[in-house]
Amino acid sequence: MSDRALAHPSAPRPPWLRILGAAALVSIAATVWLGLWVTPPDRVQGNLVRLVYLHPPIAWVALYLAFGLAALSSLLYLWRRTRSLFWDRLAAASVEVGVVFNALTLATGMLWGRPTWGVWWTWDARLTSTALLLVLFLGYLALRRVPADPEVRARRCAVAALVAFVDVPIVHFSVIWWQTLHQGATVLNSNLSPTIHGSMAWTLLLGFVALTLVFVWMVGVRYRIEVLADRTGAERLEVSLAERWAEGDLDIAPSAGNGPGNGADGTSLRPPSRVGP
Amino acid sequence: MSYVDAGYATGLSVLFLYAVGLVIRRRSLERAVELSSPPSDSAERETGAASGP
Repeated sequence: MSDRALAHPSAPRPPWLRILGAAALVSIAATVWLGLWVTPPDRVQGNLVRLVYLHPPIAWVALYLAFGLAALSSLLYLWRRTRSLFWDRLAAASVEVGVVFNALTLATGMLWGRPTWGVWWTWDARLTSTALLLVLFLGYLALRRVPADPEVRARRCAVAALVAFVDVPIVHFSVIWWQTLHQGATVLNSNLSPTIHGSMAWTLLLGFVALTLVFVWMVGVRYRIEVLADRTGAERLEVSLAERWAEGDLDIAPSAGNGPGNGADGTSLRPPSRVGP
Repeated sequence: MSYVDAGYATGLSVLFLYAVGLVIRRRSLERAVELSSPPSDSAERETGAASGP
C-alpha cells in the first residue's frame, strides 16, 4: 500500500493492527494477572520479584526493538539503493515509542531499586548509560522538529539515530565491562542457561511477548500519524504558497501535480525563476 | 501502596495514556486530511485511480 493510500482518511486501517492491539491487551492482562496473583514470591526478593515481570520486558522493547529498528531503518534510509521516506518515518515512529519505553525502564527500575538497593538513583554504569540513551533519543526527536526539507531532515535524523545507537551496546555490556550494582542478565546470560524457573520464567516470557505486541501496535499507529502529518504539512504549505503567489509576493509557481520526486506526499515546488537583478 | 503496586500502576498507566494519545492524534489528523482533501481526490478514490504507488 502506498503512502498516499495510507494517508487517506478513508484508507482502511490494516486489519492486522486491530488484531495485534487486541492480542496486546489480552497478553498484558494475562501478564499482570500471573505476575501479581499467580506466581509465588521470591525467596530472596520477596514480592519485589513481581516488578521483574515488567521491568526487563520494557527495557527489551526500548533498547533492542525500538532503538534497534530505528538504527536499522536509518541505515536503510542512508543506503542509496533502499532510500525511501518510508524508512525515515519508521525510524521516527520507532524512536518516539522507544523514548516512552526508555523512560519507563528508568521509572520501573527506580521503583525496584529503592527497596532493594536503598536508593532511588545511583551513578551506576547501567543506569547512567540508560539515562544517556534517553537524552540522546530525546535529541533525535528535537532534531525532527527543526524545520527543513523532508529529505534533509531525514538524512540528519538518520545520522543522529545511528550516533545515538552506539550507546545501546554500551548499556548492554555495561554490567560485564564495569563492576556495577545492577545485576547481570538472568535469561540471556553468557552460559545461555536461564537462572529463573517454573511459573516465574513463563510469566517473564509472556511479559516479553506482551510488550513486544504493544510495541508493534504502537509503531503501526505512530507510522500512520507520521504519514498523515507529512501530508497535512505539505498541504498547508501548498495552500499558503498558492495564496502568496496569488497576491504576487512570490516568484514560485503553484504546484501542478503530485508526481513522484516532489516534496513530502506530493508537494511540488518549482525553483524561483527571477527575472532581472 | 507498595513499590510493586506503584511499578505496575506507573508502567501500565503511562502505556495506556500514550496509546490513547496516539489514537487521538491519528483521528484528528485523519479529520484534517479529510477536510483539506480536494473534491477531485474523492472522485479519484471512487474510481480507484488513486491506488497506484
